[in-house]
Amino acid sequence: MSEHGSGSAVDFDPTDPKHSQFDLVREGARRDGVEIVHYQPRFAVAGTKREKRIERTIAFLLVLSGLSALAFIVVYVAWPYEYEQGYHADKLYTPLLGFTMGVALLALGAAVIVWVKKLMPEEVAVQDRHDNNPNLDERALTAATMMNMVDETGIKRRPLLKGALAIGAAPLGLMAVVPLGALIKDPHGEDQPLWTTGFSEGVRLVRDDGTPIRPGEVSAGGLETVFPGIPHGTGLQYADSPTLLIHLREEDAAEFKPRKGFEDAHYGNYFAFSKICTHAGCPASLYEQQTNRLLCPCHQSQFDVKDSCRPIFGPATRRLPQLPITVDEEGYFVAKSDFKEAVGPAFWERP
Amino acid sequence: MIASAAARLGRRFRNRAGKAGRLVVLALALGLIGGAYATFAPTGQADETSSSIAVREGQKLYNESCISCHGQNAQGVQDRGPSLIGVGSASVEFQVSTGRMPLARQEAQGQRKYPAFNDEQTDQLAAYIQSIGGGPEIPEGDLRGDEALGGELFRVNCSSCHAFSGNGGALSSGKYAPSLKPSTDRHIYAAMLTGPQNMPVFGDNQLTPEEKKAIIAYVQSQKTDADPGGWGIGRTGPVPEMVVIFMVGIVVCLFGALWIAGKS
Repeated sequence: MSEHGSGSAVDFDPTDPKHSQFDLVREGARRDGVEIVHYQPRFAVAGTKREKRIERTIAFLLVLSGLSALAFIVVYVAWPYEYEQGYHADKLYTPLLGFTMGVALLALGAAVIVWVKKLMPEEVAVQDRHDNNPNLDERALTAATMMNMVDETGIKRRPLLKGALAIGAAPLGLMAVVPLGALIKDPHGEDQPLWTTGFSEGVRLVRDDGTPIRPGEVSAGGLETVFPGIPHGTGLQYADSPTLLIHLREEDAAEFKPRKGFEDAHYGNYFAFSKICTHAGCPASLYEQQTNRLLCPCHQSQFDVKDSCRPIFGPATRRLPQLPITVDEEGYFVAKSDFKEAVGPAFWERP
Repeated sequence: MIASAAARLGRRFRNRAGKAGRLVVLALALGLIGGAYATFAPTGQADETSSSIAVREGQKLYNESCISCHGQNAQGVQDRGPSLIGVGSASVEFQVSTGRMPLARQEAQGQRKYPAFNDEQTDQLAAYIQSIGGGPEIPEGDLRGDEALGGELFRVNCSSCHAFSGNGGALSSGKYAPSLKPSTDRHIYAAMLTGPQNMPVFGDNQLTPEEKKAIIAYVQSQKTDADPGGWGIGRTGPVPEMVVIFMVGIVVCLFGALWIAGKS
């Protein structure tokens, strides 16, 4: 007989045919330390009107659940789901799936709850907590058993096996970790990826489709996103390179405050600034042409273009780096050099 | 020279004849002067075509409704309104026919509202402003182009502010990029061409007329598409959907749980 629970030894023979089924249930619970103190059917008299009504409610919920599930299958199979522009039935495909599945699950859950709460007997059972009086005997026995398992292996006396185990197990752990490490590209590698972009001296500024840009192709008060004119320059390989070519109006350009060392980084009224926000790397390309501010949509950083893109609001703390530009002999915009500082958000060496 | 010749002739005739002669002299002199004027005067000033009438009517409207902020000669007024010299008829048509101008009050940016002028008056105003300093004009004819190209161009040039669905979004200090839902083809074209409010200018060198028409086709076709499920929640993506899930869904679950607990 188990030592568990608070069931004291009572003379109870489970095989005695005098016992009802519930007597056996009560004894089983008692032996597990659970005392059933109150147990009573919901309905003293079976088959009352109220009981019938509750049964009908549950039956209705179950049937509703089944019908909804069937409707889900019908919609899934037969409803038009291929995209068609305009106001067509395909627009209701996913909502109908969700609605039918939702109703099916909801009705099933409601049926179960009503069944348990309204039809099944009321029951109050008590189980003593025994979390503050640990069974110390039990604890000592279990500890001895476990230590014995270790002693049986003799691992303490066999250093060779101990070492072999370590050598065998350590690479297993490494096997899980090393592939993750391979995802990290050494930022201090040969090409210094964190410090350089696709731009360098003489690289043309090109549009999204790879066409170069002449002065005059961006209106005053306008801007264009440009990329380095190198192979894959507009692709993800150079995701740090997108740059905003901004054409300030005459009167705004006259008020432009260049940073030290960037006095001739612009060409005429054309200025090029990195598009990558220095806070978290979102594209800061919402340009207000009257206030000459660049906004970043992610965390509302604002940069004042006339003040060399100084951050004036929001979480960004560093200016957008400026790209020194000029025009080559064919009249297209080219970079004078790469950005003079790392673009984008902070990293270890550049907080 | 003409006048002195007339005077000499007149003296001669006066010496010879009486009143009748004087009338003839007067008629002759007038004829001479008129003829000379017609010969030497610069031409093309006094054409009574419909456009010049439109300019005049536009000037009247301007003097009634716009002069207080944009100044007597459309030169602008400090801290009230910009100069309109060179903004072109495209700009006027956009601002006036969307009801942004005349401005209701000085604020972060002009709101779209019911236009104060009808189409004819808008055209007259536009003609007047066009006559002052020229500027961009909206081309006539169909303004729809290649929808697929338009989608690409919209993604690159427009979606950062107007959102990819064209529903607009917030800018700084109360300014915002408006929704493109109520915009007509001509409005969108004019906006790209002139850069109203804080919108950057996309001149014809940057987005060719063909490309502009492509963008318009994309924007307008977006509007004809129903939202999946029938409710776009502003079509601005996962954020409003999350808000709805929290405000509606989680609240329903919470009260459902409370109700179930209360029934116990």
